[in-house]
Amino acid sequence: MSWQAIGEEPVRETLDSGLEIFVLPKPGLKKTYATYATHYGSIDSHFRRPGSGERVDVPDGIAHFLEHKMFEKETDPQVFERFAQLGAYSNAYTEYITTTFLFSATSDIQDCLETLLRVVEEPYFTEENVEKEKGIIEQEIRMYLDMPGERLRSNLMRALYHKNPVRLDIAGSVESIRTITTEDLYLCYHTFYHPSNMAIFVAGDVDPGRIIDHLSTLEKRRALKPLPSIERIFPEEPAGVAEKRVEQSMPVSTPLWLMGYKDGETGLSGRELLRHDMTMSLMWNLLLGSSSSLFNELYQDGLINERFYAHYSSASNYAFSALGGETPDPERLESTLTARLPNQALRQADLDRLKRKEMGEFLTLFENLEELAFAFNALHFRGIDLAEVPTIIEGITMGDLEEARGRHLTESARASSLVIPTPMTGAGGFR
Amino acid sequence: MAWPHVSDQFVGEWRDGVGLFVYPTKRFKTVTIHAAWIQDLAVDRRAVGATLIQLLRRGTESLPSRQVMETRLEDLYGASFRADVGKLGDKQILSVHVTVANGRFLPGRPDTVGQALDFVAEVLERPAMLNGAFADEVVEQEKVLLKRQIAAIINDKGQYAMSRLMELVSEGQRFGLRKLGTESEVDHISASTVTEFYHSVRDGAPFVFTVVGDVDPDTIHEYFSSRWNSTRQPLATIDPYRGRHDGQTVVESGDVRQGKLNLAYRTGITARSSRYPALVMYSGILGGFSHSKLFLNVRERASLAYYAYSRLDSALALMTIGAGIEFADYEDARAIIQAQVEAMREGAFTDEDVAYTLKAYANDILSEEDSPGQLIGRHLEQLLVGGGLTGMDLIDALGKVRRQDVLEVAREVELDTVYFLTTEGKSGHGE
Repeated sequence: MSWQAIGEEPVRETLDSGLEIFVLPKPGLKKTYATYATHYGSIDSHFRRPGSGERVDVPDGIAHFLEHKMFEKETDPQVFERFAQLGAYSNAYTEYITTTFLFSATSDIQDCLETLLRVVEEPYFTEENVEKEKGIIEQEIRMYLDMPGERLRSNLMRALYHKNPVRLDIAGSVESIRTITTEDLYLCYHTFYHPSNMAIFVAGDVDPGRIIDHLSTLEKRRALKPLPSIERIFPEEPAGVAEKRVEQSMPVSTPLWLMGYKDGETGLSGRELLRHDMTMSLMWNLLLGSSSSLFNELYQDGLINERFYAHYSSASNYAFSALGGETPDPERLESTLTARLPNQALRQADLDRLKRKEMGEFLTLFENLEELAFAFNALHFRGIDLAEVPTIIEGITMGDLEEARGRHLTESARASSLVIPTPMTGAGGFR
Repeated sequence: MAWPHVSDQFVGEWRDGVGLFVYPTKRFKTVTIHAAWIQDLAVDRRAVGATLIQLLRRGTESLPSRQVMETRLEDLYGASFRADVGKLGDKQILSVHVTVANGRFLPGRPDTVGQALDFVAEVLERPAMLNGAFADEVVEQEKVLLKRQIAAIINDKGQYAMSRLMELVSEGQRFGLRKLGTESEVDHISASTVTEFYHSVRDGAPFVFTVVGDVDPDTIHEYFSSRWNSTRQPLATIDPYRGRHDGQTVVESGDVRQGKLNLAYRTGITARSSRYPALVMYSGILGGFSHSKLFLNVRERASLAYYAYSRLDSALALMTIGAGIEFADYEDARAIIQAQVEAMREGAFTDEDVAYTLKAYANDILSEEDSPGQLIGRHLEQLLVGGGLTGMDLIDALGKVRRQDVLEVAREVELDTVYFLTTEGKSGHGE
């Protein structure tokens, strides 16, 4: 499948500073969506100071805190205000390995891009504005603490991993963020927000040449040169899981259950990583996708509902599968799955059909700019070219799936997380 | 009959309880087919409606099980299929929709659209039955899952709090009913009642069929007319809220980490009113965006919340405000929110506030047009409310709103009900 066959003509460019730009023209769309992302996320709290090489350890949750603080500027207009003047929507999000700033606009795209550059390129942290943010982020963390699905995932990560920082919540904890200082923020900013560690993605009814010229002119003023790659420090992760099972009680109606398999095969990047990731994804689709026999048996038994899912997630420093959902009987679901998953037949016809499904979904991806930008950034910072996805999918064989299953589904790499209902309080139930 | 050959707008008609609308466009690589039955949201019908929707996912005559259906969808290049229960005002919307990749971008150019149309038609007209009725076993399985889904409302605290607020405002009027019904209503459903209900809805309920994508309206019209041509019950438009609470306050408690404060205001204006654009501007200035008064004052100045917003119900003539806050900050947060509403009454907003809000709405409204789902949603809403502006017409009308118009609206908005969900041991009726 070529870009031409699917009717897309992306343009890419690497500037002298090392900044990578990817522009996808989408004639006829009303909205332009742009992201400016850095290869820096919640797991990058330990690294060597560029230059001196001295080891640095910063508080958990700092990447997310930094994301919030990038919207505050020393000089007016403030970026939120400027985006408001331009009628643009702006936001940002932090994940394990990336932080992404974005805008979505239907006019004044060049001005919006300039403002997006200001968001990322003008740090301004003061004791006062850092203190003020702690109250807001504390409420954000508390909001997640009330979300059963978030707790379920968070607890599973803590069970799977002993030391790898993916075991920590992306936003950190109420306690850890209270210790963040302006010095910590500046240090992380200068280490990770360098153009050679970042990428810009623009999609919309735009002229790629004009976008790239404009960004290139703006970036020349900073006269930055690429830096050597950043040395990130990750603890040695033992092979087995930290805890077999983590339970939490919360006001939910039915138990929530999530099982994970930690994948020891890390250190991959680029095409190898993509191939491994797609193999695992297809394996889970065959075993437990919504057309699988196992899924439908469990569904008819009332053990799962249609939101049950199984997926694989990976980067260079971590990789795991997670599967689960709402169930009235976690014990029976868990024992059925652990018994059946290693032996369930994988069929060639299913693989062929699911490859077709992946192709259709790849095409559909280009329709939703938010999802496309998300996929682009996720792949880009794993060293993967989006265009390679169809070819890699095509090349995956039954042998790959069987081998992956044999290696991955081992008892020592398995853990589970459970959210169980607390007894209701008060006469009217949850009142 | 030949329809006007236009693109990028809805063509179609709505009469005798039947609507067919097509939005031909080259902007999308997918085609979305949406079909909806509409009925009054009522205690004796809502649960059986929700059960029916679940059953439509369990198979058709030619695709007799859930698994075969899912396999078929994967064969169709991963077409997505959903059957949903929606609610707007006092209406329950029973809908199915399929989104499929347009075959012209796929190898061999398969006719995916024709196949997707057949799929939707079969789901609606020939669901899997046994001796003329839904199978008992399948009905019982889906009842169990539906009851769990009903109970799961407590899992999402923000949604739960908003639903409680609407129950308090409505005092038993139909618009306050939850869309899925209660567990005991589901208990009373049998295979014969849901089969009978299915026949009455299929043959008589107001029905709207919508297609968005690169399709020929005449072809769709022909396909539709050969299948759905009977006269149905007329659709009564939604009645606005006419209650009159004087700021009644209810505080309830549960096992939560963050308090949820929700307020309902009567506006007296629905989307049908010529004053609706002024109300939209009012709500936008107050709490629609990140430049709005609620966000700036509750979050940015006081650091009391991560989110604080106001939202309009265009059918019911209500405005709701929501914020997630620390339990102890209830009085402060409520005072700040009410002070902002008061400030609007006194005209404490600038020309800049008005200009930013107009641009932000223009961005939102135009961006909707890049999403087939949002285009269909707003079009259906317009039908159910019985008029009102969308798209460029709405943007133009917002641009003509004068400061005086916003002030007049601001003075008529009245506090109706306040609901606060707090932690254990703090419940009771306030004021």
